[in-house]
Amino acid sequence: MRSLLAQIIHRLQLRESWVIFFILGIIMMTFPFMHIFNQPVLLFGFPLMFLYLTVGWAISITVIYLFMIASRTDDRSAAEKDEP
Amino acid sequence: MSSFMSSVATVSVVYAVLIFLIALYAHQRKEKKRSIISNPVVYALSLGVYCTTWTFYGSVGKAATTGIDFLLIYLGPSLTAFSWLFLLRRIIRISKEHNITSIADFISQRYGKSPWLGALVTLIAFLGIMPYIALQLKAVSTSFNLLSGARPSATGFITVGSGTDIPTGLILALVLALFSIIFGARRLISSERHEGLIAAVAFESLVKLVALLAVGLFVTYGMFDGFTDIFTRFRNSNPERFAQLFTINTSGSNPDYISSFTLLFLSMSAIMLLPRQFHVMVIENSHEQHITTAMWLFPVYLFLINLFIMPIAIGGILTTGSSSNADYFVLSLPQQAGYHGIALLAFLGGLSAAAGMVMVESIAISTMLLNHIFMPVIVRFTPRAWFPVLLINLKRFGIVLVILLGYYYFLIIGDSYTLVNMGLISFSAAAQFLPAMLGGLYWKRGNKAGAISGLLLGFLVWLYTLLLPSFSMSGWISKTLLSQGPFGIALLKPTELFGLTEMDLWSHSLFWSMLFNISSYIICSILITQGENERDQVHRFIGVFDKKELRPRTEQKRLSKPVTTEQFVTLLSKFIGESEARLAFKQYSNGHVGTGTISEFELPNLKRFTEKTLAGSVGGAAASAIVSSFLSDLGSSMEPVFDIFSSVRTNLDQNRESLFVRLKASEIINRTLDLKVIMDDLLTLLVKEFKLDTALISTRTDEGIFTITSSQGELVQQQSPPAWYLEHGPFIALAYGDQKTHFINDLRLERAAPPLDQTVAEGFIASAHIPIYREGEPVIAVLSLFSKSIAGLFTQEFIELLASLAGQLAQAITIVQEVDAKQQERSQKEAALLKTARITRDMEIAQQIQKSFLPDAAPVIAGVDIAGRCISAAHVGGDYYDFFLRGDGIVDVVIADISGHSVGAALIMSEVRTLLRTEANSTHPPQAVLETLNSQLHDDLSRAELFITMFYAEYNSATGVLCYANAGHNHPVLLRSGDAFFHELDADGLILGVKKEVVFEEQSIRLVSGDVLLFYTDGLTEASTTDGELFGTTRAYNHLKAYRQLSAAEILDSFYAVVHKFTGSQDLQDDISMIVIKIL
Repeated sequence: MRSLLAQIIHRLQLRESWVIFFILGIIMMTFPFMHIFNQPVLLFGFPLMFLYLTVGWAISITVIYLFMIASRTDDRSAAEKDEP
Repeated sequence: MSSFMSSVATVSVVYAVLIFLIALYAHQRKEKKRSIISNPVVYALSLGVYCTTWTFYGSVGKAATTGIDFLLIYLGPSLTAFSWLFLLRRIIRISKEHNITSIADFISQRYGKSPWLGALVTLIAFLGIMPYIALQLKAVSTSFNLLSGARPSATGFITVGSGTDIPTGLILALVLALFSIIFGARRLISSERHEGLIAAVAFESLVKLVALLAVGLFVTYGMFDGFTDIFTRFRNSNPERFAQLFTINTSGSNPDYISSFTLLFLSMSAIMLLPRQFHVMVIENSHEQHITTAMWLFPVYLFLINLFIMPIAIGGILTTGSSSNADYFVLSLPQQAGYHGIALLAFLGGLSAAAGMVMVESIAISTMLLNHIFMPVIVRFTPRAWFPVLLINLKRFGIVLVILLGYYYFLIIGDSYTLVNMGLISFSAAAQFLPAMLGGLYWKRGNKAGAISGLLLGFLVWLYTLLLPSFSMSGWISKTLLSQGPFGIALLKPTELFGLTEMDLWSHSLFWSMLFNISSYIICSILITQGENERDQVHRFIGVFDKKELRPRTEQKRLSKPVTTEQFVTLLSKFIGESEARLAFKQYSNGHVGTGTISEFELPNLKRFTEKTLAGSVGGAAASAIVSSFLSDLGSSMEPVFDIFSSVRTNLDQNRESLFVRLKASEIINRTLDLKVIMDDLLTLLVKEFKLDTALISTRTDEGIFTITSSQGELVQQQSPPAWYLEHGPFIALAYGDQKTHFINDLRLERAAPPLDQTVAEGFIASAHIPIYREGEPVIAVLSLFSKSIAGLFTQEFIELLASLAGQLAQAITIVQEVDAKQQERSQKEAALLKTARITRDMEIAQQIQKSFLPDAAPVIAGVDIAGRCISAAHVGGDYYDFFLRGDGIVDVVIADISGHSVGAALIMSEVRTLLRTEANSTHPPQAVLETLNSQLHDDLSRAELFITMFYAEYNSATGVLCYANAGHNHPVLLRSGDAFFHELDADGLILGVKKEVVFEEQSIRLVSGDVLLFYTDGLTEASTTDGELFGTTRAYNHLKAYRQLSAAEILDSFYAVVHKFTGSQDLQDDISMIVIKIL
């Protein structure tokens, strides 16, 4: 478990991971995904769209938080190496 | 009512004082270098300035009317946060390095410090933001009225019971302007951080959050039973409305996701590109590492502040039954429920949201106004002493202008469509910066023309498709423009441009503006080439993380006329004040050179530093203009360094040309030991490779005069050194003396001392004198280079190369000199040996000849046994003996000693022999022979400073009579038979060569059988032992006596043997000649 987390954090140090999550975030905010959740229904007493955006948001913040931890554990020189 | 109003007013004032104190505290902490602002949490909170009253009040309003898609405005920034580690870090790094003061400055600096671009960005920002400020003022005064129950008049004035009108909006505007000036425009330097301001903004962000959370919690859990309760009740009571608010754009049959994407896109750009966001994010950033915290903390902030928006909106609808006035649900819900405290907190939250936004925005815009609108005008005037005062006050004026214009806007537009939607209109305006910004950061080819045209087109489209319709909807301009298009051209309808229908206002505007903006940016960037200034900046911006760029770059520019540090300080003083200028230069000189004389290579750095410092106050474009106009006033300008080496560089911090020259030079040096060839070839190489006109090497003679040892180029044809060369004597002498290179890069501009008028007249414009020496040794020669075409030829890099070549040459010269010296020594030795050998050989030959002059054998005469012998000490000797046989039984015997053992003596001897031979044929008596000989030889002898002693005897065997004459010679000794005594034969006479006329006495004696006669030279008697004991006459006589029985030859042999034995050596000190005559 611990090594898995370490591995995830290691992967998050890659510049590609940032770009992937960024693009993923934009995709989640547009047509296909939005359409899925664009229903006027309640789920657990919450409107579906409200739930989707709020939970999705919270998840994205968690991901950024993990990124931050990854970038802190990252050697500074490695971060600069990734920089074009 | 009025008492509540006054209490609201009091709370507002107290709150304002609190904010002021916090800001003051932060400012003082900064002055003490113990910043409370330099903290990632404060940084993240300060980014919360993104949430204005538009968020605080407007979000609820939007949620209650259009639904949940308002969240996209905050989801966008959250997504952008993913890119901050790269994008924001890059922007911050660049901004710190260039002392960037605003987003206008950033874009302008990226594109070659273009003043036009800066002005354009400022204009867009100014137009886009001013109504946004109006919105803040409106929101606060409305909320104040709402809370206090005052009835606002149409002009925004509220009427208090007594009838006095209180312009709340104006008071707020003035207070905010004052705050902004105090914390944002205390000093001119805009690139420095305003800690008081940020402390206030961060605190306000906190208040906003707390207020909204409090209201949210109150509504959700106080008025209702949690989220699910609100949502369920709403759905049950109004399912249609529920469906509308909790889905996105379902008004049509087909849901439209374009508008939601537009919102997302606009908010994503706005979070970085709105002037106030750029200001707090970039300019006020104290540490790059704060980004990593802000990346998640800021989204958390946005998340929390939006968490209760939906419940508040729905709660409001449920409570009031409609969504009218939903904008102020935050305030009205707790107020109506009787919770004035929460309502007051909400009011303070709204006030904070407005205050933070207005302050930061006005400071950011006023900085832009000053740097990009006022400065381009100001730089046209000569700087004056009062400029710092003018500039700072202009900046303050800018703040007041922005806020008051916002207030004016609020007054005339009031409660119109424009104001409500101003937030998004501002976002759309800011989004126009995106292509130029991103392209500027990552696309090297992106250029000024592209940025200006793209921004301008995007701005115009924005103006036409968004601002114009909003004005039209507000009733400012005729609505027919919207419905029919300009001049009735339907294709040009602002909201349906080129027939693009069924698109919402924002998406429509965004699409067209971005299309024109981006395509123009790209097309112009590709078609038009970048200017030199632009290229410089591209490298600095895009290569900001490039490690290669970290090492000091080789200077590409030089100042054509040197400028002193003091002149720069004076210039800087005129804009930022003397004390600031001195401080800046002091800090600079700590890391660099002293303030005294600075090298030419340091000047461009100093110029860049001045420009950068100035840029921190007046923006990059203006700073650049100020410095160049200052330089041109001085008659100096930045001119490109003649790039003698192309920009291709190898890993060795070298370049191909330099390496090539070094390689060639070492080839030349190692090819031969002929210095002349080495020097000539090296000079030819330099002349050819660096396009010089003349290259020469001068050396100093012992008299201290410089002579040209070798020269290539124009001087070659001339015989004597030309006058212009002689002018350089002092410089060459200087190079000799201090072992440093002395160069003048532009003779036309730099006054050389002593003057070089002839050189200038000759057409030379650059010269350098490089000492040729080995480390720690005196200078051997000086290499001088002259160019007629290239000013600024002698760059630091070039001088280093030349110095290194001179070092190589010095090494070669030393080696050649050493080799030469050894060679010379060897040949001298050889010559000496050869000479000695030749002399020895000559002497041997002379000895042979001399020996041949002596008689081979004694004459044979009956009754007499004669033997004679001479053994020379040196190769040629001065002894001589001879026999002349005259007719029957008469023989002449002669023995002589010529002083010295030189060749001269030998020559005289041969002359004597010749003369005697002639004389001997005559029948003169001995005395006559000597007399004749003396007179003949006198001149020669006195000339050669030689003398001759001679004994001449004539023996007649028939009579037995020996006649003899003596010229100072050793007396021969006669040992008579039967007699134990020695008889010395003597006759008066002077040594030959002393006097011309000498009379010699002639003696005669009759010899009888058994007599032994010994003639000898002084070599015999003066032969000595090593102790100095002489052989002596006694020993000689005794020896003769002892050996008289032997034959004449044997007697001679025994003599030589005894002398050798006596001296203990085979070599004689002097010639020994002896003749023995034995009468049988």
